[in-house]
Amino acid sequence: MFSIDLLSNALVAGLLLGGFYAAVALGLSIVFGQLDIVNIAHPAFVILGSYVVYMTNTALGWDPVLAGVLFTPLFFALGVAVYRIYYAGFERTGRESLAGLAFFFGIMFILEVVIILIYGVDYRLVEAAYIGQTLRIGIIDLPYRMLVPFITAMAMTGGIAFYLSRTFTGRAILAVSQDRLALELMGANPIRIKSLAFGIGLATAAVAGALLIIIGPVEPSFGRLYIGRVFAIVILGGMGSIKGTLLAALLIGVSESFVQTFVGPSWADAVAFSVLLLTLVVRPQGLYGRL
Amino acid sequence: MANRIVVDNVEAGYGTVQVLHGVSVTVEAGETVVLLGSNGNGKSTLINCIMGIVRPKAGAIYLEADGERFDLVGRTPAQIVDLGITLVPEGRRLFPALTVEENLMLGAFRKEARARIEQNLETCFEAFPPLRERKTQQAGSMSGGEQQMLAIGRALMSEPKVLLIDEPSVGLAPILVSRVIAKIRELKERRDLTVLMAEQNFNQAIKIADRGYIIVHGEIAFEGKSAADLQDNDMVKQYYLGV
Repeated sequence: MFSIDLLSNALVAGLLLGGFYAAVALGLSIVFGQLDIVNIAHPAFVILGSYVVYMTNTALGWDPVLAGVLFTPLFFALGVAVYRIYYAGFERTGRESLAGLAFFFGIMFILEVVIILIYGVDYRLVEAAYIGQTLRIGIIDLPYRMLVPFITAMAMTGGIAFYLSRTFTGRAILAVSQDRLALELMGANPIRIKSLAFGIGLATAAVAGALLIIIGPVEPSFGRLYIGRVFAIVILGGMGSIKGTLLAALLIGVSESFVQTFVGPSWADAVAFSVLLLTLVVRPQGLYGRL
Repeated sequence: MANRIVVDNVEAGYGTVQVLHGVSVTVEAGETVVLLGSNGNGKSTLINCIMGIVRPKAGAIYLEADGERFDLVGRTPAQIVDLGITLVPEGRRLFPALTVEENLMLGAFRKEARARIEQNLETCFEAFPPLRERKTQQAGSMSGGEQQMLAIGRALMSEPKVLLIDEPSVGLAPILVSRVIAKIRELKERRDLTVLMAEQNFNQAIKIADRGYIIVHGEIAFEGKSAADLQDNDMVKQYYLGV
């Protein structure tokens, strides 16, 4: 039952899965971790990403990763628009906590219903030459449908981390929720900065959606499974830390993989919350939390 | 490089509470003007009016730069920063979870400041050596004195022509207050700045003032033509030294 073979494969599968989780949580890490906006519709936007990738894959034969990247400008614009509505309707009047939550809940359902109306409730999947093939290094299996999402997710996470720490607007995104007025006194417009950040958050959902549908078939309400998991990852990593989000995603990926391998698949879904609860007790600020 | 700030007959307040009653203040190019007054007399409100944070109900505020007049009322703080006016806010208002360096870099956000980042960063580190040592430390984990240095350094990164400083002495030990005040004078001379400083610590503020105003209950109670003028005045004694 317990062998080095099984152990190392569980570890690698967990890391690959965790890398993909980082891509799904990345946008939320910006929107929730930096801007304090509880966008519970984020996984629904990821599903929207999966479906637009599916659409171009079946109709035009586009590679799913390429399609995901090509859709980022559109998702960015969508994000800016959503934030403007959220700001005008809730944040400006200080009603964001409850009414804002309802707003994103509503968006989540609207997205689901729109997708159901167009594509129905069946599972959909994409085709690419590498899906179904496996790279084998010694005793380690690396299925391409996991490896490609992992590599893409790492590249995207690295790019976002670089952008946030090295550019003027990136640093302004890190600062905006800490002291809005102080940021304005630096000559930045906080609303523009937040729109930009929200746009980037949703742009990552286009790519994450592509990765999700490469890994396996997707149906319209699939995102709900991810709500708890992505919030757990962002909080576990520490609010506002991309490095923390990445580490937390890998940790949860590996934990789920181990539980699935050695305990049983039905327990795997409980892992994220167990790890989260444990973190909140032992280290409430998360792995790399801000002050 | 003539930059003059004129506050003309400004009325301002919050909701139904009026704080400033027809206040007029002028800061000539290259001057250090101090705004003296104890807590709750309207110093910060006046500074906030100039910076676009509080909108005056009446009166005019403008910047005269190189013969041109820019009205400040109705502009956002960000637009006012773009004109070359920067505020070191009361309570410092740093970004506590960001590093010292990230705070300084955010100071250089406005376009005109970005070209001179390297020189300005060097000036900051020269003026405040502890900031260089603590470059990668979180701003919120530093002592009050170091945080005040960082707040001033961050403001200088924006390459200002006019520097507004609101209560730099708040929360600092007396020895640090005189050090910070001396530093402000040094930087002002080196950078050819025009400075308006609100301060309640009379004895410290007077050390660097060319001129000053005393603000009492939202009105200018006394205008001192020189530092000596402020020091010899009876009202000053009554309000500051006699209390």
